[in-house]
Amino acid sequence: MLKKKEKQPSFTLVRKRVPYLFILPWIIGFLVFTLGPLGSSLIMSLFDWPITGEAKFIGLNNFTKMFTADPQFYDSLVITFKFAAIFVPLNLISALVLALLITQPVKGVKIFRTIFYLPAVVSGVAVSIIWGWIFNSEFGVLNYLLSLIGIEGPSWLIDPKWAIVTIVIASAWGVGTMMLIFYTDIKGIPPELYEAASIDGAGPLRQFFNITIPTITPTILFNVITSVIAALQQLTLVLLLTGGGPLKSTYFYGLFVYNNAFKHHQLGYASANAWFMFIIILILTMLIFKSSSTWVFYEAEMKKGGKK
Amino acid sequence: MKLSKMKLILLFTIALALLLSACNSTKSNSDEATEDGKVKIRFATWDVGNDVQLQQNLIDEFNAKNEKIKVVLEAYGGEYDTKITAGIGAKDAPDVMYMWNYPQYKDALEPLDSYIDKNGEEYKSDFYESLWNYNSVGGETLGLPVGYTTHVVYYNKDLFDEKGLEYPQAGWTWADLQETAKKLTNKDKKITGFAFPGKPDPYDFEMYLWGNGASYVDSDGKLKGNLNSTKSIETFSLFQDMLKDGYAITTEGSGDTEMKSGKVGMFINGAWYLSPLKEAGINYGVVEVPTFENGKSVSIVSSSGIAMSKDSKHKEAAFEFMKFWTGKEANKERIAFELPVLKSVVEEEKLQEDPVKGVFYSMLEQSEGYTPASFITENWSQVSENLGFVFEQIFNPSTRVDPKKALNEAVK
Amino acid sequence: MVAKKITSKIIIYILLIAGVVLSIAPFYWMIVGSTLPSGEIFRVPPKLLPGDYLAKNFQTLNESLGIAKIFWNSLFIALVYTLVSTLISAMAGYAFAKFKFKGKNVFFFIILCTLMIPSQVTLIPLFEMMVTFNWLNTYQAIILPTLASPFAIYLMRQNMKAIPDSIMEASRIDGAGELKIFFTVILPVTRPAMAAVGIFLFMSQWNSLLWPLITLNSKEMFTLPVALSSLIGMARIDYGQLMLGTTLSTIPIMIFFLLLQKHFISGILGGSVKE
Repeated sequence: MLKKKEKQPSFTLVRKRVPYLFILPWIIGFLVFTLGPLGSSLIMSLFDWPITGEAKFIGLNNFTKMFTADPQFYDSLVITFKFAAIFVPLNLISALVLALLITQPVKGVKIFRTIFYLPAVVSGVAVSIIWGWIFNSEFGVLNYLLSLIGIEGPSWLIDPKWAIVTIVIASAWGVGTMMLIFYTDIKGIPPELYEAASIDGAGPLRQFFNITIPTITPTILFNVITSVIAALQQLTLVLLLTGGGPLKSTYFYGLFVYNNAFKHHQLGYASANAWFMFIIILILTMLIFKSSSTWVFYEAEMKKGGKK
Repeated sequence: MKLSKMKLILLFTIALALLLSACNSTKSNSDEATEDGKVKIRFATWDVGNDVQLQQNLIDEFNAKNEKIKVVLEAYGGEYDTKITAGIGAKDAPDVMYMWNYPQYKDALEPLDSYIDKNGEEYKSDFYESLWNYNSVGGETLGLPVGYTTHVVYYNKDLFDEKGLEYPQAGWTWADLQETAKKLTNKDKKITGFAFPGKPDPYDFEMYLWGNGASYVDSDGKLKGNLNSTKSIETFSLFQDMLKDGYAITTEGSGDTEMKSGKVGMFINGAWYLSPLKEAGINYGVVEVPTFENGKSVSIVSSSGIAMSKDSKHKEAAFEFMKFWTGKEANKERIAFELPVLKSVVEEEKLQEDPVKGVFYSMLEQSEGYTPASFITENWSQVSENLGFVFEQIFNPSTRVDPKKALNEAVK
Repeated sequence: MVAKKITSKIIIYILLIAGVVLSIAPFYWMIVGSTLPSGEIFRVPPKLLPGDYLAKNFQTLNESLGIAKIFWNSLFIALVYTLVSTLISAMAGYAFAKFKFKGKNVFFFIILCTLMIPSQVTLIPLFEMMVTFNWLNTYQAIILPTLASPFAIYLMRQNMKAIPDSIMEASRIDGAGELKIFFTVILPVTRPAMAAVGIFLFMSQWNSLLWPLITLNSKEMFTLPVALSSLIGMARIDYGQLMLGTTLSTIPIMIFFLLLQKHFISGILGGSVKE
């Protein structure tokens, strides 16, 4: 998925301006709607910027406040990382399991594939509303079903231990996109590889670990990065489903920023918060990329070591 | 090849045409005047559902009568604060907007005293006095009262009848409520006597402290010695003990869901639930909030008013509309979903004698002279968030911190 | 051996069906909820079969929201956005896949970086920009800022790479201009990829909440997610209506996906999957 070996174009282009024309719309969009606002918000982060009244330049005070005087900053950061630590592996594994299931040679897999993907087409608002009802501890369907098999379900949205689990479950419901990406990749593995392995006497489990996993490592890398980014930015669900509670157990960083801006009216401080999140994401992504050289195998290496 | 080329060009043209029409077909809000030369007043409401339609009808009425002003309703619903905040921040706030949390927005609102004075003393004194309090900050009137609700006890008559219990009467005490709740509770049928929010809104909860002679803050806005006073701790303990003894439960929301299910005997809330509970088929009655020993039956007033943006370019026209919106006719038109705030209307409609609505008015009269902490504290939104967290710690079953400890911690 | 094969098939089917239940059941409750009056949604035990309150819920919801207009807003915005954004990303993707030019790697690196920008960073300045342009509460305020989608460009580039250079060279020899080559040669052969990207963009716009929530003011301009979120969080939510609103916003996008899923799946990775 990530990187296929590039073939150099066999011609040199005379008209040098052409490619720039093709990327021009993107460049305009990027400059006006991304880079501009990005810069503005960096400037805002150096100000005490209330909703009403004059903005006041305060240097790095917003950042100092964030690091030294706001315990909620650390709490939210920790909770968000905790969420990412549960969500990312769970999501990856379930996506992979589902993808493997729908690559099995059984009847009707196409229908299953479609059904598994359906939750991923639903908006975050809809997900919050639907799961809010399912998780209601008193009147929710989930606890009712659990009670039928003799389990007393927890108070999902009241008990801080479980609330984060509800967010994980509700987010993981949309695992379909990742499943599809794995699926297309697994489907792309040449069957000869498996045939050769079977002849060598490798069972399905060994085939999975020796062929499937190494081949799809670039895709795993891609999925790890996108889901880490998504997890760290999670906002819609905590805003609409739990409101950050109970006991601030789901007061994710995204909500922290959102509330500072739109509830407490501290636009400068919120900009500083948001920029910090941006930097964290950049660093994390870079670290994951760095680590990838040890566990991601690209096509070229595969061929060298392969059986072809 | 030719055919697909045609198709692509067609597709591209359609896309362009659509985009262009998008740019032309919509009008921006901030347009100074409408096509017919009227002054345009933007009016923001937080209401949802049918109420918006009722408001729109009333606005249509105003627009039809008025030759110079056209009012446009903007219904923001659940994310009202976010949108107002964004609008104010961008100097693009609606001219007139529904408002309750005046301290939070005070710098963006136009003081109305001079406008009100022009209309004479009689105009002002027709509103209930305690409501002006809730629509002013620091001595300046920032809004005209539109509606209000006090909190009352809703009780499920069917559950009372089942147990052969007398319906509660005004003047009852918290001890009475506890006694009744105990009798109503039936573990086998999953019926609980009393329910209150597990994460109460600090703004609302302060009324219980008032009833017991305490408050969150003193007139300087200091929490210490007030929030953790003996009386205050006593109040929190009263609620926590009801949970511990098992005849009260905490609710995920404000408690209406639980009440609607018919499994809860009593809960305390505002007038919002009068019709939803009826629609859910609950046979209920309402009664004043119980009193503490040597205390009073006091309620917080959740007041709604309408305020004018400081940045409005048509302040006279805006006030003209505000007067209409808070006038006698409008109060009467809204009577189905809003408690009138004009004494003359209450009198004409004999609302004080109404067995349901009358309770809200007697609570209003008893609750005069209390100022919520939100009007005193400088940064209430932050304080409120912190208080809410502390209250949750006291009531949440997984923590249930001792009130004394929690409140002493909170004032540090 | 045969027995083993059958058992493994049974296990696979059990897992598949478990997956189906987990995927579908929440939708089922959503639909059941939309056919019940609020009072009946909160009953113990919960109702598991549809009621007969659907028409009434629809009527009240329609009276308060104006469903047709909200649908039109969502549809129009998503459609225009999809068409223009697909074209922009196809153009950029083509340049990145098939041309060598100065700064190419830098530009591409920037695109990857923009994937990582949290939306909250740009939210407030963007909003102020919309105010300056006098664009609040307009369609273009929703459509324009995210037109250049980095993910779409990335996908297009992956797909364009699979096109053999010989096609372009042949046209160049015939004397065709670059734009003509793009529109008449490149776009037709990348139709599956464009379809996939288009579906992806359409769904993301249809479901988008935060930005429209902040820029749209009047009920007449609301998109479905904004209208839905305006129903939550207020004192008087009517759950039946809320569930119906959710159903109405969800069903069309599901149907849309079901109809086009073939293109979506075959296009998403440059046709590497043979159906």
